[in-house]
Amino acid sequence: MANEMTPPNAISDLIGAFKPLAWRRLENEIRARIARVPSELNGYGYDHYGMHPEDVVRVALPGSLLYQRYFKVETHDIDRVPAGRVLLIANHAGQLPFDAMMLGMAMLLEAEPPRICRGMAEYWVSELPFVNVVATRMGSMVGTPRNCVSMLENDECVMVFPEGVRGMNKTWKERYRLQRFGTGFMRLALQTGTPIVPVGIVGSEEQQPGLANWRGLARLLGMPAFPITPTFPWLGPLGLMPLPVKYHLCFGEPMRFEGSEKDEDRLIDDRIAHVRDAVMEQLDRGLALRRGIFG
Amino acid sequence: MDKILITGVGSGLGRLVARELRSRMEVIGVDRAPAKRFPPGVSVQRLDLRKRPFEELMRKERPRIVLHLALSDAADDRAARRGDREAAATRALLEHCVEYGVERLVVQSSGLVYGAFAANPYRMDEGTPVSGAANGPGIRRWVEADALVASFIWQFPEVETALLRFVPILGRSFGSGVGAYLQLPRVPMAMGFDPMAQFIAEEDAVRALVAAIDHPLRGIYNVTGPGEVPLSTAIRECHRVAWRIPSPLLRRVLAALHGRGLTAFPPGLTDFLKYPVCLDGRRFAAATGFRPKIDLPEIFGRMRR
Repeated sequence: MANEMTPPNAISDLIGAFKPLAWRRLENEIRARIARVPSELNGYGYDHYGMHPEDVVRVALPGSLLYQRYFKVETHDIDRVPAGRVLLIANHAGQLPFDAMMLGMAMLLEAEPPRICRGMAEYWVSELPFVNVVATRMGSMVGTPRNCVSMLENDECVMVFPEGVRGMNKTWKERYRLQRFGTGFMRLALQTGTPIVPVGIVGSEEQQPGLANWRGLARLLGMPAFPITPTFPWLGPLGLMPLPVKYHLCFGEPMRFEGSEKDEDRLIDDRIAHVRDAVMEQLDRGLALRRGIFG
Repeated sequence: MDKILITGVGSGLGRLVARELRSRMEVIGVDRAPAKRFPPGVSVQRLDLRKRPFEELMRKERPRIVLHLALSDAADDRAARRGDREAAATRALLEHCVEYGVERLVVQSSGLVYGAFAANPYRMDEGTPVSGAANGPGIRRWVEADALVASFIWQFPEVETALLRFVPILGRSFGSGVGAYLQLPRVPMAMGFDPMAQFIAEEDAVRALVAAIDHPLRGIYNVTGPGEVPLSTAIRECHRVAWRIPSPLLRRVLAALHGRGLTAFPPGLTDFLKYPVCLDGRRFAAATGFRPKIDLPEIFGRMRR
């Protein structure tokens, strides 16, 4: 229906004719996979949350090149992710959220059926021009508990990084050491009866070795962190390019928890400790599997 | 035959509701503007709700049902000049409803009262704080009138009151509000922002109001249409040209253009071009069985000139 409404565009057709064959093949493959994602679209090709498969294709193309060629991602036991509502709980590292992108790409390219991984974005993301539109079209939402509950009730696959910024901007000597987990995800899982799949992401922890985090300057600039790495800020924006590390994504068995989301913190913390141990276990598995940081 | 009094009957929605109800109810219409071209069977009087003649009308007619449409349909520049009329008029009406034994009161409000903010949930239910006042003066007067009715619901349980917060209503007879925005020759948008937006056709809005009149409702209800699309899609489907203004300059540019009469868009509403205000209408649907009949392509199709 959406195609009938947009007029044929001669210029984009012409560009299309000159695309390399491999590129076109990849595009078709991604398009075919996105078409199999269980989602409910309206006549204009958007879902309730503003996700737009056409735009997902546009981002997934370079994303899949990063996935296959640059980070050479290997997944282990991705079939453990159950159908229907699910929370993917993973470690977070590497200054820029390439780990989230690779996890999303894995669910799109390798899960059966393909899934769109829903991200829970920080509040300030929706205030950034352009970034907020891209995030929404990719299927992400502002990370309010209400939004997360609504997505889980709609049987979506939601990824959560309970370490948050604490994990993302940790320094080199803290690599593969999980930071404190936030507690929100456990209450949401209990409230909606959602299984939790622990995911260990190996590789992102070395992609941009943080030397320090200049908190004072970050506060001044209104940024969540200001990392100092061997390349940033010395090389400018180019210094944000991650190293071509090898990624391993290890998926654990789904964990189901009994109880009430209204339990006191002590009980919630016990359960979170279980999840944290499970993520650590997957990290150890990934570290044992790899031969070197880049290989 | 039931007697119903409709305020703001001269508006596009008011005429449509009056036409819908006149066969089975005695319809008394009230409007501040001169009334023209009304269907037979509808008596229309030109009255101000705050003035004595309106109270005399309530005393004499004693309507069983009151439909208050005069609260909404504002937030354009005309409304800005009207000052606090919505709240004052609504307050007078509420007092008369208690005084003269009105059994059922249905009030049309807007979902925009929830306000446009970055952290808005993807759909807002009736319990969401009504924070629109922070967005600007155009919305503030609505929020005040809406809040009057919301507290009235609990203060005077003897009047069965339903406060309906609608998503933007589009239709041929809508020359104001969001309808006017989508009719501008160049439709302003915030560059780098494209919030999801919901719409409902005027016929469906009329059916929702009639459903609220026919059901014993008490409380606040969101009324939603057939779905949501990005604002840019709505503009494109209405065959308009989006005019993207860098967001840090948006308010100043719109204020300057508005001041010189170059755009009808009220600068106080710029936040609504950046952040989504989408409603969760499940409560109203469950209470009345209301389902919109007109889908988005048809709604947009009618907006094309």
